[in-house]
Amino acid sequence: MSLAAEAFVSQMAAAEPWPENATLYQPLKDDQILLSDCASSLAVQAYLRMCCLPVQVVCKANAEYMSPSGRIPFIHVGNQVVSELGPIVQFTKAKGHSLSDGLDDVQRAEMKAYMELVNNMLLTAELYIQWCDDATAAEISRPRYSSPYSWPLNNILAYQKQWEVRRKMNAIGWGGKTLEQVYEDVSQCCQALSQRLGTQPYFFNKQPTELDALVFGHLFTILTTRLTSTELAERIKSYSNLLSTEKNLSVSEISPPVHSLFPSHSHSVALTH
Amino acid sequence: MAAPDELFCWEGDWGLPSVSTDCLVVLAYAQFAGAPLKHHQISNPWKSPSGSLPVLRTNQKDALSRPSDIIIHLRKQKYNADFDLSAKEGADSLAFISLMEEKLAPALIYMFWVEPKNYVDVTRRWYAEHMPFPLNFFLPGRMQRQQLEKLRLLRGDDSLEAGEELEKELYRDAAECMNLLSQRLGSHKFFFGDSPSSLDAYVFGHLAPVLKSKLPNGKLQQHLKSLDNLANFCTNILLLYFPRDGRESSSSQKMSPQPEAGDFDHVPNKRQKQFLSALVALGAMLSYALLTGMVSIQHVQQEALEEPPDVQPIGPNDHEEEG
Repeated sequence: MSLAAEAFVSQMAAAEPWPENATLYQPLKDDQILLSDCASSLAVQAYLRMCCLPVQVVCKANAEYMSPSGRIPFIHVGNQVVSELGPIVQFTKAKGHSLSDGLDDVQRAEMKAYMELVNNMLLTAELYIQWCDDATAAEISRPRYSSPYSWPLNNILAYQKQWEVRRKMNAIGWGGKTLEQVYEDVSQCCQALSQRLGTQPYFFNKQPTELDALVFGHLFTILTTRLTSTELAERIKSYSNLLSTEKNLSVSEISPPVHSLFPSHSHSVALTH
Repeated sequence: MAAPDELFCWEGDWGLPSVSTDCLVVLAYAQFAGAPLKHHQISNPWKSPSGSLPVLRTNQKDALSRPSDIIIHLRKQKYNADFDLSAKEGADSLAFISLMEEKLAPALIYMFWVEPKNYVDVTRRWYAEHMPFPLNFFLPGRMQRQQLEKLRLLRGDDSLEAGEELEKELYRDAAECMNLLSQRLGSHKFFFGDSPSSLDAYVFGHLAPVLKSKLPNGKLQQHLKSLDNLANFCTNILLLYFPRDGRESSSSQKMSPQPEAGDFDHVPNKRQKQFLSALVALGAMLSYALLTGMVSIQHVQQEALEEPPDVQPIGPNDHEEEG
């Protein structure tokens, strides 16, 4: 989207209120969606809940191909389609819904930096474990990713995706890492988040921000998803303040909706049956 | 302890100790931490132990090439520039380093390797002039393909091409990242306290090339120059920690108009090129002599089986002559 078009869109966005029939698209929840996509999708849903914006979740087998950026999730609001948390936050901001208005400049800079920390380390680690760990890729990722398609398309698509992710890992220098080093990175990332959070209920001030939504999406998904090894969840469980915040978010005021959205979350996302 | 670790980096220019971001990060961190490394400033990546730059060769003969791995290694050797940071400040460092890797690094790749005018006029020219003879023909192009591939994979976009929209999107992210860094820095000298830490090294490594390079399309440079505190931060670190390179820049600036006028004295590797051209000329003469039969080589044992060489067709073989 060019800048002129973007400016136009944001003006349009500001003019129209949030419609009742906004939809969020993601892959099939029961047998297709993978850990990383599920985490991103949950983060967006949590963010919209925090903004009190209603959204209806629709599961489509080809959601990845419907998304304008090729990434999960994306929302369809009025006649606009926006994908990924960052652009969605800007989009809702243009409509007058923002969670980070109360922050000063330094806090906003820090919030954006921590969001990139989660994307850069936690999300990349999830992708690595899904596609570069041979056991997980063979047992979980490839069969689930390609479950809606029949032979031979399922194999082609799954290997294509795996190959693409592996090339990306090589390009960003993660190709030579071992699984143990990736877990170490996850620990480092959680350590940083845990330090930042301290004993507060939320990362900044008394209110949740998009950072809280993002962290919640990832941690909740990792904790409730069964993988070939429980190592990833174990690493996170050692940071108790992160866990309590995550529980707060999923049980307290904002999140009865989030929680009721996933009544049997731990079963529905469980990657192995 | 045994021999010091050896650090291989790209050569410097434009008043910087090195032209590559990763090398600058490592060099700056080593300076901040006071690590006694043996520096090799080279312009031939094939001379480095791992084939890429930067590389740290430790005294156990391991070769580390990711800046973060090198920094961790130096930390283990007790050269720790982050020793005074609180746990929260360490967390902030990690977050801002991620921010730069996600938002600033793609724009830097675009600016140096993808933007056509910058690449042809500055980047390719610089590497071609600094690399030794046969490598300078193909390595800059190969490096560009690698960088382009990296940018494509980072953005998850297969059909990525240089263009206005891509440029605007990348530069907007990068400019926002610079604004955030500038807000975080405020009026301080360094990001945390009075001494520089690893975050300062990363910021310096990413921003100094933007500030100092002389690119035809310098939109990001203009933006950086408008953020006074960040620009001062970079010049300060250059002055304090790399005083030698800073002075070289002022002298090379005075010299730089000269090569435009008379380029003859400034050909790099002059002796090598003279030698090679003599070799090629000699080869051409010899092959001509052989082909036309002025000189013939005879194998004594097989002489009986072979026809005399001067029966071979005589003709000016043009393609053999050109050297």
